[in-house]
Amino acid sequence: MIIRPKAFFRGVRLAGHKFPAGAAERLPALPEVFIPLAQHAGAPALPVVEAGQSVRRGERIAAAQGAVSADVHASIAGTVTGIVTRPDGRGNTAQFIAIAAGETQEDAFLPPLSDPSKEEILQRIAACGIVGMGGAGFPSHVKLAPPVPVDTLILNGAECEPYLTCDDALMQKKTREVLRGARYMMQALGVEKLLIAIERNKPEAIAAFDAAGYDVVPLKKQYPMGAEKQLIYCCTGRKVPLGKLPAHAGVIVQNVATAFAVYEAVELGKPLIERIVTVTGGGIAQPKNLVCPVGAPLSALAAACGGEHDAVKLVAGGPMTGAALTGTDAVVTKTTGGFLFLTARETDTEDPTPCINCGKCADVCPMKLMPMQTAFYTNAKEYENAAKYSGVLACIECGACSYICPARRPLAQSIKTAKAELRRKP
Amino acid sequence: MRVLSTAPHIKTRRTTKHIMLDVLIALLPATAAGIVYFGWQAAVIIAVALAAAVLTEFVWYLIEHKFWRDTKTVVGAWAKQFDYTSLVTGLLLALTLPANIDGWYMPLLGSVFAVGIVKMLFGGTGKNIVNPAIAGRIFLFISFAAMTVYPAANFGPLLPDNLSVWQTHPLIKPTWTPQNALETGATQLGNLFNTKPLLSNLDLFLGTGVAGCIGETCKLALLAGYVYLCVRGVIKWYLPLLYIGVTGLFAVALEGFKFVYFLPSVLSGGLILGACFMATDYVTSPKSTLGNIVYFVALGLLTAGLRKAAGLEVVSFCILLMNFLVFLIDLAIKPRPFGYVRQKKEAKK
Repeated sequence: MIIRPKAFFRGVRLAGHKFPAGAAERLPALPEVFIPLAQHAGAPALPVVEAGQSVRRGERIAAAQGAVSADVHASIAGTVTGIVTRPDGRGNTAQFIAIAAGETQEDAFLPPLSDPSKEEILQRIAACGIVGMGGAGFPSHVKLAPPVPVDTLILNGAECEPYLTCDDALMQKKTREVLRGARYMMQALGVEKLLIAIERNKPEAIAAFDAAGYDVVPLKKQYPMGAEKQLIYCCTGRKVPLGKLPAHAGVIVQNVATAFAVYEAVELGKPLIERIVTVTGGGIAQPKNLVCPVGAPLSALAAACGGEHDAVKLVAGGPMTGAALTGTDAVVTKTTGGFLFLTARETDTEDPTPCINCGKCADVCPMKLMPMQTAFYTNAKEYENAAKYSGVLACIECGACSYICPARRPLAQSIKTAKAELRRKP
Repeated sequence: MRVLSTAPHIKTRRTTKHIMLDVLIALLPATAAGIVYFGWQAAVIIAVALAAAVLTEFVWYLIEHKFWRDTKTVVGAWAKQFDYTSLVTGLLLALTLPANIDGWYMPLLGSVFAVGIVKMLFGGTGKNIVNPAIAGRIFLFISFAAMTVYPAANFGPLLPDNLSVWQTHPLIKPTWTPQNALETGATQLGNLFNTKPLLSNLDLFLGTGVAGCIGETCKLALLAGYVYLCVRGVIKWYLPLLYIGVTGLFAVALEGFKFVYFLPSVLSGGLILGACFMATDYVTSPKSTLGNIVYFVALGLLTAGLRKAAGLEVVSFCILLMNFLVFLIDLAIKPRPFGYVRQKKEAKK
């Protein structure tokens, strides 16, 4: 059934730049992967393997540490060559477990569950290291055990970021599997109501879910429609109270890719070791959706897509919220939706000009904040005033303000600075 | 080497330059109407004001960036950062001057004051406290008597009996023009309606036979510009209407709810030019939507009230006055984020 969404007037309209999402191709076998220990929100996982140890595909190689954390599993079979510190592609270094591929690829999946109970599902999700695959990487077993009772699960297939088509590819080709994953999540939450939220620029995906007999909410193509609070409002008309969790509005939002991972974990016993990654942008020869093992280096993905040309900027994730990369040594993580090779024409390299106080940033802010005030007070290092006059702490960092700014001012950057400074203070 | 920056990595192609260009385009009909109505003098004033505004900014930039060290680079950098704001200032200033001012030096002085003192001295684009064009106009207004006399348009009123009325009207002194008789508030408006309207509302709308500043008389041209600005998303459509509507209604209320005063108050003087192009200036209006609504309503009340009290055309003074209060409005209005919950006040003991 098609459900009419509630209107949401703020945000920006972005050019799609999306190539038609077909079936995702499998990345050719890799000689080596580098699996990061910190690919989720919360504490990094602790390695449980040593250099020289041989591992099978799907074996646990690092254990969750603390309440908010997730297990990490081997994405290829082979030998652990070491726990290495190497560049993470974002200008920093991080801890990785390096695995060299073995001669034979053996799987070590968990036994499939049939007719599992609520607890079994949550345990399985935790054991398979499933995290929110939309980008934040919040461990799913924590999110699926909310502190207050909820009544609705929303599957987020909005994919409002330009360029990315990985969720679209998944929704078109794996509709049944995604729905079965969603069923298990509903069972774990104890809810009856499921809404599937998809932006209108993906008619095939909408038709596929509608044909399966589920409630689909076709959303207006507007960025940031996929942001949790805005999505909940458009689907249910409920507003998440400021500073509270979506669960306080009675809703849990999960990405469609997470639902697919839950399906694989419960029915196949397969941990989260693979995901679909969009490799696109004007600087890549053949844009593709690739099924990649976690830890696959970007250079291998670029080679599988015909190589790069004229790319001045590499981005992990979407162009609005993704992180710029220093080079192709970045790897696929559980939360990587895509890699963009942007040419100088596509990206913005112009210098900012003075703010003319036009107020467009406030007009497009989906949280109704005043980004120009944040920038003003942050430049003066008056972070308390920034919080007072712009409401910066409620920012969801969607980047709409920076996008629309006619003076090309880095508003989102000021906001991130202000938030970091405000959190640092006691 | 890769380009590194924080997200977002794509940006709209619409920059400050495009917005300013849109404002210039929106002012074209009014400029054309001004030249048609007031002749070559108007064209000279506009040209001088534009040239002086750009030159002032140019010279300021050269000195600021120590051009004597490397003239070529500095001139190139100026051309790159030139964002048409001084053109908008110069054009708006010219459009608010009467066409019969004697001598080219007045628009020149006005432009130098507007761009040099009001804008660049305070830090350039985006840093000025008051609208440069308005400040320039008021600077000339209080400096030269010529600024207080307005010539009538070359074309007479469309309705001939009106013409005879205002030429032979016993209450109108020879130096008076129908426009300033109409716009100068209570007594004149009162006279008007005691006898007969001097100009029909249609004439006021088209600017035919109306005396006034170069750009303010043809309301049709101004409204065309207003529609263009709204369509291009430069201004919010309701803000100028709020100003104009509040002014008209408050004027009606001040005259004891005689609704016949509505259209003459709205269509006379610089109200429409001020509301659509001056008050909506980004830099000197409040940041938030609510703040803007407060600002425009206050402008409307102030304009109608001062018109009645002072018996003068006061739109530019009202905008100047309110510009100084913008920072107070901005400090008073704090955002309420999406999902804002009103904090319950602690029960009093």
